[in-house]
Amino acid sequence: MNLDEILGSATTSSYVDDAYYALLQTDLTEWRARGTPLADPDLEGLILHENWLLDRRAYEDWFDLYARECLYWVPNVDVLAEEPPTLGGKPTGGSLGYTKAAVRPHDPRTRVAIAFDDRRRLGDRIVWLRTGVAYSQLPPSATSHVSSGFVRVPTARPGEVKIRSQFVCHEIRAGHPVRTLAGWAGHVLVTEDGETRIARKIAALLDPDRTHLNLSFLL
Amino acid sequence: MFTDLVQPDRVHRSLYTDREVFTREMERVYGGTWTYLAHESELPGPHDFVRRRLGLRPVIVTRDAEGGLHGLLNRCTHRGATVCRDDEGTTARFVCGYHNWTFDSTGALVGVPMRKGYGPSFEPGSLGLGRLRVESYRGFVFGTLNQEMPPLEEHLGYAARLLDQWLDRLPGSRLVVRHGTHRLRYRGNWKLTYDNSADGYHPGFSHASLLRMRKQRYGVGVDMQWTLGDVDNGGQTVTDLGNGHTFLDQRAEIDSYWESSAPMPGEQAYEAVLRERLGEEAERMLDLAVGSGMNLNIFPNLLVIGNQIQVIEPFDVDDTHLIWYATSLEGEGVPEELTALRMRLQEDFPSFGEPDDLVNFEECQNGLSIPEMEWVVTHRHLETGRSHLDENGNLTGPVTDELPIRAFWRRWTELMTSETKLVAR
Ligand code: FES
Ligand SMILES: [Fe+2]
Repeated sequence: MNLDEILGSATTSSYVDDAYYALLQTDLTEWRARGTPLADPDLEGLILHENWLLDRRAYEDWFDLYARECLYWVPNVDVLAEEPPTLGGKPTGGSLGYTKAAVRPHDPRTRVAIAFDDRRRLGDRIVWLRTGVAYSQLPPSATSHVSSGFVRVPTARPGEVKIRSQFVCHEIRAGHPVRTLAGWAGHVLVTEDGETRIARKIAALLDPDRTHLNLSFLL
Repeated sequence: MFTDLVQPDRVHRSLYTDREVFTREMERVYGGTWTYLAHESELPGPHDFVRRRLGLRPVIVTRDAEGGLHGLLNRCTHRGATVCRDDEGTTARFVCGYHNWTFDSTGALVGVPMRKGYGPSFEPGSLGLGRLRVESYRGFVFGTLNQEMPPLEEHLGYAARLLDQWLDRLPGSRLVVRHGTHRLRYRGNWKLTYDNSADGYHPGFSHASLLRMRKQRYGVGVDMQWTLGDVDNGGQTVTDLGNGHTFLDQRAEIDSYWESSAPMPGEQAYEAVLRERLGEEAERMLDLAVGSGMNLNIFPNLLVIGNQIQVIEPFDVDDTHLIWYATSLEGEGVPEELTALRMRLQEDFPSFGEPDDLVNFEECQNGLSIPEMEWVVTHRHLETGRSHLDENGNLTGPVTDELPIRAFWRRWTELMTSETKLVAR
């Protein structure tokens, strides 16, 4: 799509409903599983191509990698966190004690995210970046996205493929120090119009709940 | 002491760049007045706690077994280690990791290993954690080390009435502040945020990206378009509420909250569900997904904006964290879908609005480093005769009036020059 087409595309949001949020909970369960090293170069190639387009800031082409019903999700919490077992049982102290769970911390219905972009909001994001007056991206962030450790994770969802990988993203804006953002990514791939497309991407940062400088570029 | 630097129409750049000023602010401004710490819904039950800061001081806000609120200095009375190292949790006991001195949720010292080593004059009663004076107004918990401050509600003055209006959009509902945060950081002074909080001059310019994107994608009626053009002749106003509290009111520009809302994922899906289930009542619920049209700023660190609570956390003279707490409403008849819509909408401005402001703040900090360019201009509308006392006796002006900035500096100067002794009880 070119920018003009994106301007008029997906100006309503109808698919993010209870069933869709439930699907995200299923995803989280499935992402935990052991994966098998990815043997399919085309699938790995799609994710590497996504990185390349982001590093080139070719947002319009990047948008085309995503399915009609899609999600780009950067949570602000470790969505796979579990209370660790402790030798000798629970300690009694606050500083050594347990963190109380927030309200359904992994469910975006009750928790804001750093990014929770359906197709419409992805369009907003691209148009916003292209206005030429988004000062947070003037000058723009230069990025180098590196992904590796691709594994295919089993899924019960017919027609979907789940790929988990590790990522490191170096970012620099002129006048600012280099930053490193790292974590794991999950890509749910589907076939649409004969093409493999990204239906849902989660970029799970190592430090999602810490304070971050300017995060107005894409992971 | 600061009269040369804070003038009626301008302030000196060093107030943003001088680390000695910053150090004094962290002692005298934060802690010398009622300073926002936490919302009660973050610690709903007995022995719940959250870890916060009062200026640079590490503090814990706790509830005791009976539900009483306490503000405790997070500093072991033995040799100084922090006793709480979690952001939030539930515990009846804070055990210092160093030698295991143990404090209860009121801050009292209740355990000292091998206590016999201290001899007969040892008085655990005098070795509890340092205590702030704490008061809560409708769930908003403030603390201070100034024992001479008037009661919180008196100090808030008309800001409390506006907070009532913000809270009472759905009468009978309660605010819940347990939905995660946007944690934004910028390399600039904390006051750049307060300067901006009732700045009706900047949106048409600093937020040009957001406004252009919306207009191009959705047309003129959507989201904040009223901030374009000659806003001095529009319906928005700014008000000095006293004690450094300020207010920017957009409500006169908003005909229908839902219709003029920024977009949010799931909008049409949940709108259909709510209209189907609630009929005419749906309109009122949908409006509550959308921000209040109020920017209410409680000196020095609490900014109630839209449906969010922003808290300014200074770390250094040129390093500030701005924490946006997401909120929902809890109560009879509040549908779950409303919470989901509120979450999605509260992601919008931290994505497409605030980052541009924060970069402008960073660029202010850069520019303010130049010693030969000394002054920051704060006199917009000072001489136009447009401001007047409103029906509550508060000074109100057109939305680009810099009277909120001047109000801030008056309160700031009072606190920075005050000799009142600050003490932990
Ligand atoms: S410093 Fe806390 S017990 Fe020694
Ligand atoms: Fe702004």
